[in-house]
Amino acid sequence: MNVPLGAYEGIVGPAVLRELRQLGEKLAGTRVVHVNSTREGGGVAEILEWMTPIMKELGLNASWEVINGTPRFFEITKAIHNGLQGAHVDIPVKGWKTYEDVNARNFKRLRPILEAADIVFIHDPQPAHLLRLCTRRKGKWIWRAHIDISRPFRPVWKVLRSLVEQYDASIFSMPQFAQPLPHPQFLVPPSIDPLSEKNRDLPAAEIEAVQTQYGLDPSRPLLVQISRFDRFKDPVGVVAAYRMVRKVAPVQLVLAGGGATDDPEGKAVLEDVLEAAGNDPDVHVLLLPPDSHKTVNALQRMATIILQKSTREGFGLTVTEGMWKGKPVIGGDVGGIRLQVVNHHTGFLVNTPEGAAHRIRYLLHHQEGIDRMGTTAREFVRENFLLTRHIREYLTLMLVTLHSDRGNLVEV
Amino acid sequence: MTPFEVKDCALLARMSGLPPAINLRELRDRIAVCGENVLFHHFCETTLRSTFDNPDYRNDFAVWSKLYLGDRVLAERLGILDPYEFPSLGELRAATLEVIDERLGESTTIPWARPGDEIYFMEATTVVFDTGIRISHPGEFAAAIGAMTGGSVYYHFLEARRRSPFGKDDFTAWFLENDEGGKNRPYIEALARIDFYFHTLPHLRKELIKVLSALEDTK
Repeated sequence: MNVPLGAYEGIVGPAVLRELRQLGEKLAGTRVVHVNSTREGGGVAEILEWMTPIMKELGLNASWEVINGTPRFFEITKAIHNGLQGAHVDIPVKGWKTYEDVNARNFKRLRPILEAADIVFIHDPQPAHLLRLCTRRKGKWIWRAHIDISRPFRPVWKVLRSLVEQYDASIFSMPQFAQPLPHPQFLVPPSIDPLSEKNRDLPAAEIEAVQTQYGLDPSRPLLVQISRFDRFKDPVGVVAAYRMVRKVAPVQLVLAGGGATDDPEGKAVLEDVLEAAGNDPDVHVLLLPPDSHKTVNALQRMATIILQKSTREGFGLTVTEGMWKGKPVIGGDVGGIRLQVVNHHTGFLVNTPEGAAHRIRYLLHHQEGIDRMGTTAREFVRENFLLTRHIREYLTLMLVTLHSDRGNLVEV
Repeated sequence: MTPFEVKDCALLARMSGLPPAINLRELRDRIAVCGENVLFHHFCETTLRSTFDNPDYRNDFAVWSKLYLGDRVLAERLGILDPYEFPSLGELRAATLEVIDERLGESTTIPWARPGDEIYFMEATTVVFDTGIRISHPGEFAAAIGAMTGGSVYYHFLEARRRSPFGKDDFTAWFLENDEGGKNRPYIEALARIDFYFHTLPHLRKELIKVLSALEDTK
């Protein structure tokens, strides 16, 4: 979706846009390439979908490239992903070879653009090997970690670190996610696009259509967790929390998530969730296609409370999305959820299904708390987690990287 | 009269390279050896971080002491430290260490945070750029400040104290430079009365507009 920057003025104000345009002028013509592993599904693709056109509008020569992989490659990179988040995974030597081979095939295709780039952003581990292949690179290469690698499974991190430490810099969403590396480690939380299909205001009729489509009762409270079917999101724990609340309140639960092309494990988790849900007509498990942005938007808007009961989490953009819709969030006390959910201000942090059930019941008894926290949550996102802040930090990072010889105060 | 050049700044935080601290002893050790940029970030650049309520304390060490070490006495003593009162960051460091050493001496056990609640040491690079906006007359400042980004307010009123040869904010420096016959004296005095360190950035902007507008209203 190509939305001109000016369309955000009503949301963030003119001064914020003026600042972006002024920073953009300083980088006019800079050749920037983003590389990740999927065009759709997951927060990274969503960020790049808006970031690339806005960078172009600001005068940068920006492009977004996606590496192509085989099913085996994505099984390996999923294992790498899980290993970086602490899971004990077994990646055989042959698996790493597949990882390198797929990167090498993609490099053949991407070589001219990568060699010519002034700045290359490599997102997550899947394309990280490209740097080692690009021996004639002239620009700065930055590795962007979107996940929490604070407690990785060491054998996986050992291999990946040997690649990542060759980059000029890395970016983490929070200090808690980082690992010691021999280059600058910048901190840039991600963000959401308030005008995207997933976050724009929706007319009541469109929300009601989704309500009808999934047989949801508007007269009863609705709990919604939106996330991939991934064990770290603890969807089975959410069902357990729902059951504890259902004994005393007529709540409904929606667990909705898409599958991404780089997430083969999701199917097994989905089966576990369906088994936990059983035949309960008030538990709605929805496997949504990757382009179901409007459905997700409507589900979040009709929610009474948003849940994100993760046990490990990157930043947790679904939390940000829920807060932007003016909803309190009950989230796992992990990762980036801690940066967004503050007890009694924007929702509650919990550690167990019991904790989630307790806070759901508390909120269901305090409608004024739901309203107040929802309002605070929306304003907190406006100040901190919209794409305008995100793009400003990327522009700043590029200026800092291109002028790294000027110390801590860079005048441009 | 040289016009005032309105600049803007954008901050980019990064890891300092120091390991995180999980108890008061480690906090002391890290503060003793950290770079001045790290101190500046945790004492001064916190102003640019938006919050949805008025935080108890303006520096990260006081906040961490309260929330994660559970030591309210230490939090209060650290919280009252005003970094802009010290002639140098070295002296701010010495004062901070003095507070922590005093508390360590009073305590029978070392306060610990639980795993996951460690404090991380960061610093930032500031990118400064010209907005192209110019202010030519003292009477224009209130309106211009109202239209500035938070980054501009921070850069000219707070960050300036670190770099200006006067140790003053850029607005005051401009009023002084262009003070023909003492007519800018009321502006200089009004700005000097603002207890700026304990304001959030939005409150600071309002306060600046208020005191400067009041001077125009009395004319």
